[in-house]
Amino acid sequence: MSSVFENNSLQIKNLTIMRQQTPLLSLNETIKGGDVLTIMGPSGSGKSTLLNWLTGMLPKEFQADGQLYLNDANITKVASYQRNIGLLFQDALLFSHLSVAGNIAFAMPKGDSKTRAIKISQALSDVGLAGLENRQPESLSGGQQARVALLRVLLSQPKAILLDEPFSKLDSQLRQETRQLVFEQIRQHQLPVIMVTHDESDAIAANGKVLHLKTPQQDI
Amino acid sequence: MSHKLTSNSLNNRPLKDETKLLDTLFSTVVKFSPKLLIAILILPVLGGLLGVLLPAFGWLPALDRTQFGLQGFQQLVQTPGIAQMIGLSFFSSIVSGLLAFVITLLLLANYFDSPWLARIQRLLGPILVIPHAAAAIAIAFLITPSGMIARLLSPWLTGWQSPTDWLLPHDPYGISIILGLTLKELPFLLLMTLGAIAQPELNIKLQAQYRVALSLGYYPITAFFKAVLPNIYPLMRLPMLAILAYASASVEMPLILGPNTPPTLAVAIMNWFHDVDLSLRIKASSGAILQLFITLSVLFTWWLLEKLTQAISSKSLSNGQRTYGDLFWSKIINIFTLLLIGFIALALIGMVFWSFAGYWQFPLALPEQWVIMHWQSALLQVQTPILNSLSIGLVATSIALILTLLTLEFEKQNGAQLSRFSSVIIYLPLMIPSIAFLFGLVWLQEAVHSKATFINVALAHLLFVLPYVFLSLATSYRLLDSRYAQVAASLGASPIKIFLQLSLPQLLMPIMMASALGLAISFSQYLPTLLVGGGRLNTVTTEAVSLANGASRRTSAVYALIQMLLPAIAFSLIWLISMRKKRQKAQVKLNNKTASYITKVNR
Repeated sequence: MSSVFENNSLQIKNLTIMRQQTPLLSLNETIKGGDVLTIMGPSGSGKSTLLNWLTGMLPKEFQADGQLYLNDANITKVASYQRNIGLLFQDALLFSHLSVAGNIAFAMPKGDSKTRAIKISQALSDVGLAGLENRQPESLSGGQQARVALLRVLLSQPKAILLDEPFSKLDSQLRQETRQLVFEQIRQHQLPVIMVTHDESDAIAANGKVLHLKTPQQDI
Repeated sequence: MSHKLTSNSLNNRPLKDETKLLDTLFSTVVKFSPKLLIAILILPVLGGLLGVLLPAFGWLPALDRTQFGLQGFQQLVQTPGIAQMIGLSFFSSIVSGLLAFVITLLLLANYFDSPWLARIQRLLGPILVIPHAAAAIAIAFLITPSGMIARLLSPWLTGWQSPTDWLLPHDPYGISIILGLTLKELPFLLLMTLGAIAQPELNIKLQAQYRVALSLGYYPITAFFKAVLPNIYPLMRLPMLAILAYASASVEMPLILGPNTPPTLAVAIMNWFHDVDLSLRIKASSGAILQLFITLSVLFTWWLLEKLTQAISSKSLSNGQRTYGDLFWSKIINIFTLLLIGFIALALIGMVFWSFAGYWQFPLALPEQWVIMHWQSALLQVQTPILNSLSIGLVATSIALILTLLTLEFEKQNGAQLSRFSSVIIYLPLMIPSIAFLFGLVWLQEAVHSKATFINVALAHLLFVLPYVFLSLATSYRLLDSRYAQVAASLGASPIKIFLQLSLPQLLMPIMMASALGLAISFSQYLPTLLVGGGRLNTVTTEAVSLANGASRRTSAVYALIQMLLPAIAFSLIWLISMRKKRQKAQVKLNNKTASYITKVNR
């Protein structure tokens, strides 16, 4: 249960991301476990570029300067698959070739299959999806899919989580419920979170620091 | 309303009638083209099959055999080495298919997220249009005891001062055939798969799921196999089956690379059909039926392998294991990719060397003398074959193109894709071994006393050109934004005007690509040309194959290179045109940009 550390933190030190020598954004932030840093800004302001840098998937046309620390370890140069940073997108992106339980098991660390199955059932009933283990992801509603995606990230035992407009595809009632559930679970696990959104109510619900990225200067 | 209008303006009437006639004609042509397309594909294939089936059971009126019986099959069973022939056909196709499949997966897995995938695609792409015969000749030259590999390794590693006696090519186990087929199938499978996963919606989903797997700690190769492959295999299945069907009954590769005693079944059937002893035709027909069963059993074996793999791997997909020695495998695949590209490059370079080589003693890697004599003498003799290749190719491709465009237009007008049945029919000539129906087709053509060799050959080529032209054009045509046509129709444009002045120009590049592909497919046809043409119509490909076993290596190299150059020229032309178009577009954009900049400054 590595996720209940007191000193979980994600630290962005002196980051500057450039596109062809033009600075796109600069950032210097520390997010403690259980805190949410919300990043807002119009499209083109570099929100998703920032997420790409955080996950180690920055496209070639961008250059980045700065360091990324996760729990005091420098992971700036670590490959994306060794970063232990979970991702939650606006689409659930569940694997259609696996069942609901298969999707969650895919994310869990290797182990005894019975223990894994018990954990999955437990987690599913925690979020109100008891008994849906063997369903195909496509047969679930959008809200249910979002919850399975959340479980998939949480049970992979990440050390930090990035939310990329995670609720924008849900209608407002569902949005509120799912949002509450996500933040609750993340606080329970004491994980540092960065959320990218352009919905003011997401930022309010996150109840943390909010950063506004500006539109980059238009080149002639 | 319109009636009233026309009666008011009498002057316009003849013109209107004329356009109306044209419209009706066009809509009739469009309506019938899907049926014609299906008929053109299905009739020769089914007729050809029937023309093999009847003699197989002893019914061959030309030889005064009109009683059904099983003598053909009895003779077949008694043929010495028949078991080896069957085994050779079966295993060389399964093993080469499996190798091509595994290598494709390894390349995809290792380079899925890397710019190298596009580079490998560009490197392997041209091999797709190299005719099988030319590829086989190039590989034979590479692996033969005095080939480039032996030369590069001698004498420093092997100690050989003169070519040793090893079994490649023509080895009795079919290793050379497997090598040739694998190298030729690999680019096809890779490019078909890449084409399938390039569909925008699917691509976004696959990329995103791949990233999810990475973010969950999966190493790249494992992430590909566990998260991506299960979603793309369904798209690889059909090309895979086409490869297997082709390989199990191909003639060129085993003819040039395979053993002679006994050869593969397909080659043996061809020899029996060509034997002066006409009674062998019955045995050959029975052999063609046997060939069908072998092809079917190859496809069935693949299906079994697929189910088996699925059953074994389904549990491990979600067992949580993040790596299976990924870093090690990645290094191995890198090395293998280099070797693969080196092997192909060496094969091509070796062939160019041979075509210009004068005196060239064994362990030397470079010819001692460079001469253009082989090219000169070949170019004198190859003119008629080149003209034949070109004219057959142009006729077959034009018909294929017109039929395809009209059929796709029919789809568009009716807002529905071809039925499942029709889509399967389009693949028919690719799935049914050509050796099994081409002889029947020849027999049919003889039966109706069709003496027009050229047309017969061109129509036989059409059977193989049409599927590729259709497959290559269908995607672009179906993706065409139909709102343009709606806008044009609302402005009063007739369907034929929309088709000719809107759809076709919008599809110029895909049409050019499909034409080049059609030509390349036609250029590479060996069996249809040989059989339907009855040896009276020589193309570059038939010449190259007949020269490959027997003539001097230097002449053979020249012919194989000419065979590669023909499609290469077609594709280079397309490439040049597309570059020109791109440059024009860029120019227009630049002009616009400058103009807007100037306006801004002036303000």
